Amino acid sequence: MFILPKTELPRLLESLGSGRDLYGPIYHEVSGDALFEKVEDPKAVRFDAPIPYNSPKSAIFPHFEAILRYAYDRAAKTIEMARADLVRPKALVGVRACDLTGLRCLDRFFLGQEFVDEVYRDHRRKMFVVAQTCIAPFPQCFCVCTDSGPYPAEGYDVNLTDLGDHYLFEAGSEQGTALASELGLKPAGADAAKRRDAAVDGSIAKFDPAARDDKAWISRAVNRLTTGFVKNETWEYIGGQCFECGACAYVCPTCSCFNIEDINTASGPTERLRTWDSCSFEGYSRMAGEHNPRRPIEDRRNKRFFCRLSYSQSKKYLRPGCVGCGRCARVCPGDIGLPNVVTYIRRETTGR
Amino acid sequence: MAETTSNVLVTVPAVASITEIREEIEDVKTYFFAFDDPELEASFRTRSGQFIMCTIFGAGEFAVSLPFSPENDRRHLSVRRVGKVTEGLHTLRPGDKIGIRGPFGNGFPFEEIKGRNVVVVAGGIGLIPLRSTLVHALQHRADFGRIILLYGARSSKDLMYTANIRDWKAIEGFEAFLTIDRAEPGWTGEVGFVHTLIEKAQVPVENTVAFVCGPPIMFNANIKELMGRGLKDEFIFSTLERHMKCGIGKCQHCAIGRTLVCTDGPVYTYKQLKTLGEQI
Repeated sequence: MFILPKTELPRLLESLGSGRDLYGPIYHEVSGDALFEKVEDPKAVRFDAPIPYNSPKSAIFPHFEAILRYAYDRAAKTIEMARADLVRPKALVGVRACDLTGLRCLDRFFLGQEFVDEVYRDHRRKMFVVAQTCIAPFPQCFCVCTDSGPYPAEGYDVNLTDLGDHYLFEAGSEQGTALASELGLKPAGADAAKRRDAAVDGSIAKFDPAARDDKAWISRAVNRLTTGFVKNETWEYIGGQCFECGACAYVCPTCSCFNIEDINTASGPTERLRTWDSCSFEGYSRMAGEHNPRRPIEDRRNKRFFCRLSYSQSKKYLRPGCVGCGRCARVCPGDIGLPNVVTYIRRETTGR
Repeated sequence: MAETTSNVLVTVPAVASITEIREEIEDVKTYFFAFDDPELEASFRTRSGQFIMCTIFGAGEFAVSLPFSPENDRRHLSVRRVGKVTEGLHTLRPGDKIGIRGPFGNGFPFEEIKGRNVVVVAGGIGLIPLRSTLVHALQHRADFGRIILLYGARSSKDLMYTANIRDWKAIEGFEAFLTIDRAEPGWTGEVGFVHTLIEKAQVPVENTVAFVCGPPIMFNANIKELMGRGLKDEFIFSTLERHMKCGIGKCQHCAIGRTLVCTDGPVYTYKQLKTLGEQI
């Protein structure tokens, strides 16, 4: 553990930004919204910004991405085809514990199954992650229920905890330790861990009491979703509330469904575009010839919650897919963010 | 499930050329193809029941089952014109290029079923994904008991691979029963739905595996008939189709219940299908 004086944060960001694409929390210059975006100027990064509207997944799993380009000359029967090469490594900074857990879910899903997703692997290669202990939870946050915060247990190169006058710098990897020596950081004192834990406790105390009380209900929802014991009426109610906008999937740090389309340009090559998708969309499961095995909205709607919480899907993430960031609850116009769905499942048995 | 993924074309399609096109039935054509890279042409291996992702350059990519046997069978695809990409395929001519990723999916269990009677039950173009297993079994005729094809379509014009079926009939001990929904002048085969052939063929249930593929109503009638005669659900295999984008278990479009058709399927036993909890 090291001490990072707050005045030294720009130097840390500059060091990470040289030779890497830097992504972090910034304020949008017009709306003032906190966003997690690629930054050109390291000085724009705000560690004290609120939880960003979007999750860091867009840095390594972009909303739109050309994964292949080709040009087919049908007369000459020749084809030129190339995959986009990503050479510059990335540095993600100011990643909160919930979002860090989300990145780890994506890693396990894209890299750890039967097949490695080569597109994702190229984004992830040589990536540097600076996480931060979340000392200011927001009203919708419930990472304390999903074992994903507010202190990040693992999976970072560096974790920073704001201790008022300075940051506690914890290295989680060799490249994290190397950064500490590059910056010439002084070791932290004997009471550093105690002060960090006090900051974490202070953060937990700020959570909505309902979030702290909901722990048992998340695990019960996991059980019910896995075993299929959620009543049809509950799904029908949830389906009735759904606007089919897909926003929940887009803001979710772990939702990673994608679509692929070949887009022809008037001149130049065809681009194979990989884009985010959502299981709430009517066309998601529609096959050629219009047959759609999953037509009613409640059929599609339960899919997301099955994916986020069921044990079957958890095997792919080695933990539940929900990381408690609460973004789905914040964006959902139908009020069926994940915490409310857990509440509806609870009401099935408790009636309240 | 899959033995190894190292020789699978995961992201970038390999280029292949269409060598010959055959009209099968209305809107369905068979495209013979060969990889442009001779090394890949020699090393590309599949299992019966697997599928590939086929790129029609300029139109997109679609998942398609492999009708050819893993051994000594010309590589081809049989595709119905049904959407934007398959329409694109149907405009191609011999010499045109296509792209191929894969092979993907679990495939039918071939080694495990040796020594058993094999019953292939197909309706319409449902014979396409089962052709691979049927041909593979016929190529290893001595390893199996009875090999029976029960095949039906709306009319004689809707029967796939009729020339193939004539050739296979020359193989000793191969039994083919063909049926069409309504009688036609000149038709000498059976008339009626496919499941009525199960009785006519005296399909055995002891030491038997069945492969069933076709439209849902045909599928259900045959499952009922086979199970009613005592064939256990774990010995009835089928193969599913879903909207697919990646083939490698990432895009999630083909999720059905807790499984993904691309990596957990496309081949399922009826015992598994019953537990998926979604429309198949």
